[in-house]
Amino acid sequence: MPSIEYDDSKPSWADQVEEEGDEGTLPSPKETIKGNIKTVTEYKIDDDGKKFKIVRTFKIETRKASKAVARRKNWKKFGNSEFDAPGPNVATTTVSDDVFMTFISSKEDLNAQDQDEDPMNKLKGQKIVSCRICKGDHWTTRCPYKDTLGPMQKELAEQLGLSTGDKEKPAGSAEPEPAQPAQSKTGKYVPPSLRDGGTRRGESMQPNRRADDNATIRVTNLSEDTRETDLQELFRPFGSISRIYLAKDKNTGQSKGFAFISFHRREDAARAIAGVSGFGYDHLILNVEWAKPSNN
Amino acid sequence: MKPILLQGHERSITQIKYNREGDLLFSVAKDTVANVWYSVNGERLGTYNGHTGAVWCVDCDWDTKNVLTGSADNSCRLWDCETGKQLALLNTNSAVRTCGFDFSGNIIMFSTDKQMGYQCYLNFFDLRDPQQIDDNQPYLSVPCSDHKITSAVWGPLGEFVIAGHENGEINQFSAKSGEVLKKIKEHTKQINDIQPSVDLTIFITASKDNSAKLFDSTSLDHIKTFKTERPVNSAAISPIMDHVVMGGGQEAMEVTTTSTRIGKFEARFFHAAYEEEFGRVKGHFGPINCVAFHPDGKSYSSGGEDGYTRIHYFDPQYFDFELEA
Repeated sequence: MPSIEYDDSKPSWADQVEEEGDEGTLPSPKETIKGNIKTVTEYKIDDDGKKFKIVRTFKIETRKASKAVARRKNWKKFGNSEFDAPGPNVATTTVSDDVFMTFISSKEDLNAQDQDEDPMNKLKGQKIVSCRICKGDHWTTRCPYKDTLGPMQKELAEQLGLSTGDKEKPAGSAEPEPAQPAQSKTGKYVPPSLRDGGTRRGESMQPNRRADDNATIRVTNLSEDTRETDLQELFRPFGSISRIYLAKDKNTGQSKGFAFISFHRREDAARAIAGVSGFGYDHLILNVEWAKPSNN
Repeated sequence: MKPILLQGHERSITQIKYNREGDLLFSVAKDTVANVWYSVNGERLGTYNGHTGAVWCVDCDWDTKNVLTGSADNSCRLWDCETGKQLALLNTNSAVRTCGFDFSGNIIMFSTDKQMGYQCYLNFFDLRDPQQIDDNQPYLSVPCSDHKITSAVWGPLGEFVIAGHENGEINQFSAKSGEVLKKIKEHTKQINDIQPSVDLTIFITASKDNSAKLFDSTSLDHIKTFKTERPVNSAAISPIMDHVVMGGGQEAMEVTTTSTRIGKFEARFFHAAYEEEFGRVKGHFGPINCVAFHPDGKSYSSGGEDGYTRIHYFDPQYFDFELEA
């Protein structure tokens, strides 16, 4: 492939004097062949009257080819390329940046698998894997009584529904939430400062935050297709959720495989950890644990 | 490797093909010209001008004398490869989707789209009989009423044409009687591309159902399956290694809404026997519409929705690489 260098040197006054006699004529193109490098030097005057020296360097490669191929190499160009000079035309042919084939070796995959398997073995040794249904030494999803999981979850939900219903009232009175119903009753606008919670906003905001942190669980090993609504469905039975944060890729919007779920109450969160950890979801086994308090 | 970038088209590439020796590379696109390039340095030899619609397919005969192109301007044209002159114009009722020379270079086949009230036909012309061309009267015309042909190649010995259909079916049409010799349905969606091996004994299909499959040409026995997560637009078999290359990506209409990073626009190399992916090559800005191996197996080319054709000469690592099984 030719590499083209433009020698954009302005003619110096000395050169101009020299060339005064034959204005407009250019030195004739030169072609030198040194070994397998061919250098073609051409001169050109562009629209601004600037003189250009164009140096093209070619690498000459001699290849042996069959007669038919050699004959074809000498064919005249035609169609839109009819007036192209010999050699590749820069308008249609360019050499692009280096690219490399990225190899995916199975060895790497195997190593990755080994690493994946090791913690599993450890878990087995410590007998952490215990079925939530029959308390056996296997994953809940592999439980022979798996079909009863659904009913069990429902039961759980019912229990929770009762318990949350009981506790809703006292909890509600402590929180600034009842301001809204009051507002709807009167139909009058109440400025935030005059609302029920308004007087103790300063104290209620901060502790709430901390409570959130305490009742937050981290769910990992989610599949890429998981959406917030899926998580909501999955965790709603355990108690009221205050916040769901699903980590997503900025560009693609696909899930990064982990999420934080904040419950209103810590007991609900604990129950969610007990209930969903090891739960097979979308062909992956979910890992649920307490979220570590964030540094800031 | 430093790919050679060929910018001869203004629209997306529809098909690229090497001639038998591999010194020339033909490319056609959704614009109206067909280009021919020297594969060794990417120099453009010429263009075949005349079509007035998107060109869907191109083929070259064994001695690189004639070139056949089929276009959406409802015509199939025969060109003199050396001079770019149009030798014959075969008008049809609907767009020509696939075309091909049989190994002798004497018989051509092309298929037309099911379109504008016309059904899909597979037509056969014998070039030795000028009367057929003059009268535009094929010696054999096979109607395919149900599902149109989306890709087709000649089978071994010029006995039949292997055609892939819109619904994923693969049929063998006899070139003598037109009857369906064998019929299979291994794919669930449209077959985008069929490419035979050098000796024509096996072929690979690329389908919209996210997979490519290897078949035996004569018996249509299913041999191997290569799975990806995106529709496969094209697949080719390496002539010297047990490799296949696949090009694809999500559908062209969805390109603008996704970033290139997750578009999976790479050419993907699979081991033919283990059905395992072992390498990827990036480069195109859109899905790859067509891939082709050089007949010597030392380079391959890809044509993309971005309108570029890229010729890649493999690095030595490619030949040294061995997949650990």
